[in-house]
Amino acid sequence: MEILLDALAEVFAPTTAAFAIAAIGLNFHFGLTGLLNMGVAGFMLVGMYGYAITTQNGAPIWLAIIVACAAAATFAVILGWPTLKLRGDYLAIATIAAAELVRYLGRSQSLQPLTGGSTGIRGNEFKFTFEALSPFPNENITILFWTYHGTLSSSWWLRVVAWLLVALFAFTFWQLARSPWGRVLKGIREDEDAVRSLGKNVYSYKMQALVIGGVICAFGGVVWALGNSVQPDSMGRPTTFWIWTLLLLGGAATVFGPILGSILFWVSLVVVRQVASSVIPDTWLSPIELEPFSLVLVGITLMCLVIFRPQGVLGNKRELALNG
Amino acid sequence: MLRDIPDLEGILTKTIDRRAVLRALIVLVLAAGAVTAMSLLGSSAVAATSEVAAIAAPTDAAAAATSIAPTEAEPIDTTAATSPGSNRVVQTLVNGIVFGLLLALASVGVSLIYGTTGLSNFAHGEQVTLGALLTYFFTTQQEVSLPLIPVSFTIGWPLIPSAIVAIALCAGTGWIQDKFLWSPLRRRKVTIVQQMIVSIGLSLAMLNFIQWWFGAQRVRLTIISDERIDMGVFDIGQITLLSVVISLLCLAGVGYFLLRTRLGRATRAVSDNPALASASGIRVDGVVRLVWVMATGLAAVGGILLALYDSGTAFDVGARLLLLMFAAVTLGGLGQAFGALVGSLVVGISVEMSTLWIGTDLKYAVALAILILVLLLRPQGILGRAERVG
Amino acid sequence: MADNPFASVPHEPGAPKPDAIVKADHVHRHFGGLTAVDVEHFEVQRHAITALIGPNGAGKSTFFNLLTGFDKPQTGEWQFNGHSLVGTSPAKVARAGKVRTFQLTKALNRMTVIENMRLGAADQGGENFFKALVPPTWRTREKDITVRAEALLKRFKLWEKRDDYAGSLSGGQRKLLEMARALMSEPEMIMLDEPMAGVNPALTESLLDHIVELKNEGVTVLFVEHDMHMVRRISDWVVVMAEGRIIAEGPPDTVMSNPAVQDAYLGAHHDTDLSEIDATEEGK
Repeated sequence: MEILLDALAEVFAPTTAAFAIAAIGLNFHFGLTGLLNMGVAGFMLVGMYGYAITTQNGAPIWLAIIVACAAAATFAVILGWPTLKLRGDYLAIATIAAAELVRYLGRSQSLQPLTGGSTGIRGNEFKFTFEALSPFPNENITILFWTYHGTLSSSWWLRVVAWLLVALFAFTFWQLARSPWGRVLKGIREDEDAVRSLGKNVYSYKMQALVIGGVICAFGGVVWALGNSVQPDSMGRPTTFWIWTLLLLGGAATVFGPILGSILFWVSLVVVRQVASSVIPDTWLSPIELEPFSLVLVGITLMCLVIFRPQGVLGNKRELALNG
Repeated sequence: MLRDIPDLEGILTKTIDRRAVLRALIVLVLAAGAVTAMSLLGSSAVAATSEVAAIAAPTDAAAAATSIAPTEAEPIDTTAATSPGSNRVVQTLVNGIVFGLLLALASVGVSLIYGTTGLSNFAHGEQVTLGALLTYFFTTQQEVSLPLIPVSFTIGWPLIPSAIVAIALCAGTGWIQDKFLWSPLRRRKVTIVQQMIVSIGLSLAMLNFIQWWFGAQRVRLTIISDERIDMGVFDIGQITLLSVVISLLCLAGVGYFLLRTRLGRATRAVSDNPALASASGIRVDGVVRLVWVMATGLAAVGGILLALYDSGTAFDVGARLLLLMFAAVTLGGLGQAFGALVGSLVVGISVEMSTLWIGTDLKYAVALAILILVLLLRPQGILGRAERVG
Repeated sequence: MADNPFASVPHEPGAPKPDAIVKADHVHRHFGGLTAVDVEHFEVQRHAITALIGPNGAGKSTFFNLLTGFDKPQTGEWQFNGHSLVGTSPAKVARAGKVRTFQLTKALNRMTVIENMRLGAADQGGENFFKALVPPTWRTREKDITVRAEALLKRFKLWEKRDDYAGSLSGGQRKLLEMARALMSEPEMIMLDEPMAGVNPALTESLLDHIVELKNEGVTVLFVEHDMHMVRRISDWVVVMAEGRIIAEGPPDTVMSNPAVQDAYLGAHHDTDLSEIDATEEGK
C-alpha cells in the first residue's frame, strides 16, 4: 500500500512536472524539428541561474522570470547560430559540450561569487519571492494521503503552479504543432532541402524552434530549482539523458507524451526501488545500490525503446519510425 | 588491390566559408569577453586542487536521483601530485604530452569505430572505466563481490596479470557488443541517429552498473607511490614514465597494424569507403568486429594507465573523459585513427598548458572550447574530409 | 499559340531567345581539378518546355543546382525575370517564382499527402511563429490552400491518397506528389530533375500530359531527362550538355542529328540508334 501511495505521490510531484516541462521543450527541438539537442540540462541550468541570481539581487519575481527566459533565449541563439548547419550527430556533440561548459563554468571557483560555485545557490536565497505569492497557509497540510508544506520549497503551492505550467506549455505545443509553423518544422525534420525548395528559410525556423524549446526547458529548470536548489552537478549529462528517455517513452511529437513519459519515468523509478528493496534481500542489493540499480534499468529502457518502439507509448508508429 | 580514391572534395576544404568563420570569431570574442568579465567579478584564479561538492539536502527522494556522484571534480587531477620542475612551462608541456598519450589510447578506438561504422559511441567512456575497475577487481587486497551475489571474496592477483585479464575481458565486451547489439542493428538498417541514442542508453546503463558494482568511492590500483624522477627542467613519476612507454608501444602497434598489415589496410579501406571495400572482397563485418575488439581493448589499457597516472580511479572517470575524447577525435578528424592521436596530443597539451594562464578548475573548459571551435570552423578536423559533415 | 517563338532562334549553343525568363552567363563550377559546369551563355524561353539532355556526367544536375541556389559556382551570373539571382539562397529562389523537383524524390515521408501539399503553399501567415499562436489569423488562408491542394491532387490522381503518409506511396506517386507540391506556390517556372526516372510506363503518359498542361497554363518548364521519347514528344526546345558545356541547341527533331551531339553520346552508345536511347538504359 505504501508503495502505491509513494508512486502516486510521484505522479504530481514538482520534479515530475519540471521534467515534463523540459521534455516539452525538447519535444519542440527533437519531436517537431528533428534537432538532436543533447544539452537540455544546459538550458535548464541557464534558466535556473538566471532566475536565482536575479532574485538574489533583489529583483521581483516577474523580472527574474524574464531574465531566465532571456538567458535561455540568448544561450539558444549563441549555441544555434554557428551549429545549426551541422549534421545530426555533430549537433549532438556540440550541444553536449555547450551544456557541460555551462555546468563547468557554473561550478568553477572563478565564478563563485556569482553562481555559488559547486555548492550552488541555496534555497533561502531565491525561493522567497515565489513563496511569498503562495495562498496556502504556512504550515504542513495534508490532502488525502499526502502531507506537504503549504508554501515552502517542495510545497502544495509549487505543485499547483508547476502543473499549471505543464498544462500551459502542453497547450502551446498543441497549438503550434498543428499550425502552419509547426508544419514547416515537421517538414524540416523530414528533409531540409525539400523545405528550402518550397521557399522556407530553414535556418530561421530551426533557430526559432531552438529558442522556443530552450525557453521552455528553462522554465523546467526554474520549477525544479524551486523544489530543490540551484546546483550545477544536478544538471549534468545524465539529466539530459533521462529527459530524452522519458520523452521517447511517452512518445515524441505528441502533446501528452512528455507528460506521460515523465510520470511513467518517476513512478517506475520509485516503484522499482521500493519493490527491489522489499523483495531483494539487503545482502544482495544494499540500500545505496538501489539508485544505480534502478538507473541501469533506465539505460536499458532507453536502448529498448529506441530499438523496438521508438514511437513510445503514445506515438504514431508511422510518423515516428526513426528510420527516416 | 585497392586504388586510392581521388580526393576531389579535399580541395573544397581549403576554401573556408567566410561567413562561418566570421560568425565563429564573433562568438569567440563575445565569449572571451564574457568569461573575462565574469572572472574579474570573481576572485582571481586560484589553483584549486581539491573540491568538495556539497549536495543540497533533497527534500524528496526524487531529487536524490538527479545527482550522479558525491564528487564531481575535473576529469584528471594532474596538478595534485606534481611537484613543479624547475620550469613550469616545460612541466605543463610534459604533463600535457603524457595526458595526451593516455587520452589517445581511448580516443583511437572512438575514431576507428566512427570510421568503420559511422557510430559516435557515447559508451566509450565506460569502456575506459571498465578496464581500470576490472583490474582493481582482480588485483586489490580488499574484499570484492559481484552484483546481486551476496558473497565477498578477495582475488588479489599481482597488478600485471590482473591488468592483462581485465584487458582481455574488456576486449571481449567489445566482441559481444558488436556480435549481439551493433551488428544486428546495422543489419536492420537502423539509422546512425538511432544507434547513437542506443549508445547513450548503453552508456547510462554501464555507468550505473559500474557504480552499482564498485560503489562511488575512489580506489587505487596499486599502493606503490609514484617516485618522481628529476629531469632538470621537469620531473616525472617512475610509473608515469612506464605508462608513457607502454602507451607509445601500444600506439605504435596500432600504427603498424594499420599501415603494414593486410588486415590493417582493409580496416583503413572500410573506414574510407565501406561499399567499395566490400565490393573489393573485404569482409566488412569481420573488420568491424576486429575494430570493436581493438577499440575496447585499447580503451581498457588507457583506463588502467590513467588510473596509475592519477593514483586512483572511480566509476565515472571514463564518463568525465568522454567529451575530451570527442574533442580529440573531432579535432583530429572523425574516422582518422592518426587524427585521434594528433587530436589527443593537442587537447592534452592545451588543457595542461592553459593552467599557466587560467585557473586549474577551468582547464576542462578549454577542451570543450576546442571542441566547439573545431565544430564551427572545421568540423572535419585536421585530417578529415568535408563530405562527412554537412 | 500561333507563332513558334523558336522560329527565329539559331540552332547554336547559347542562342538568345525572344523572351528569356532565365539568362545565364559565364557559369563555371569545378570540384578540385574537375570541371563540372562551364557554360558561356544560356537562355530559357518563357512559357515553353525546354529539355536539358546529355550523357551521364555532363553536369546537368550540377547546373540545375546552381540555377536554383543549391550550389554556388566559382564564377557566373544569371537572372530570373531580369533580377539577378546570383548568391541567392534556395528558399529565396523558390519564392522568386522558380521552383524545382529533385532527382531523388523528396517526398516528406512522415507527413500526409495533404500536409505535403499544404507545405508547398506560399503566403501562409500562420508560418510565422506569432501568428501561429492565433489561429483566426491563418484559418481562412488555410482553407484556400486546402482547396487548391485538393484540386491539384485530383488533377494528379492522388486525391484518394490525401490522408495517407507520403512514405506509403509508390515511387511514381511520390514523383507526382513532388510535382504537384511544387505547383502549390503558383510558380512561373518549374525545373524538373529527371521526372521520368523510376516511373513505370503506365504513369509516364500521364506525367507527360501533366507537363504539357503546365505549359498551357503559362508555366515555363525546364527539365533534365535521358528519355528521348519524352524529350521528342513534349519539348519545344532542346539544349545538349556534355562535359559541362552546352554543345548544341535546337528543336528536338533536328538536334539529335547534330554531329556534335552524336559525338557526345557515341562514347556510350556507338552502336545504337540515338532515338532508341531511353531511361532504362541510361537512367540510374
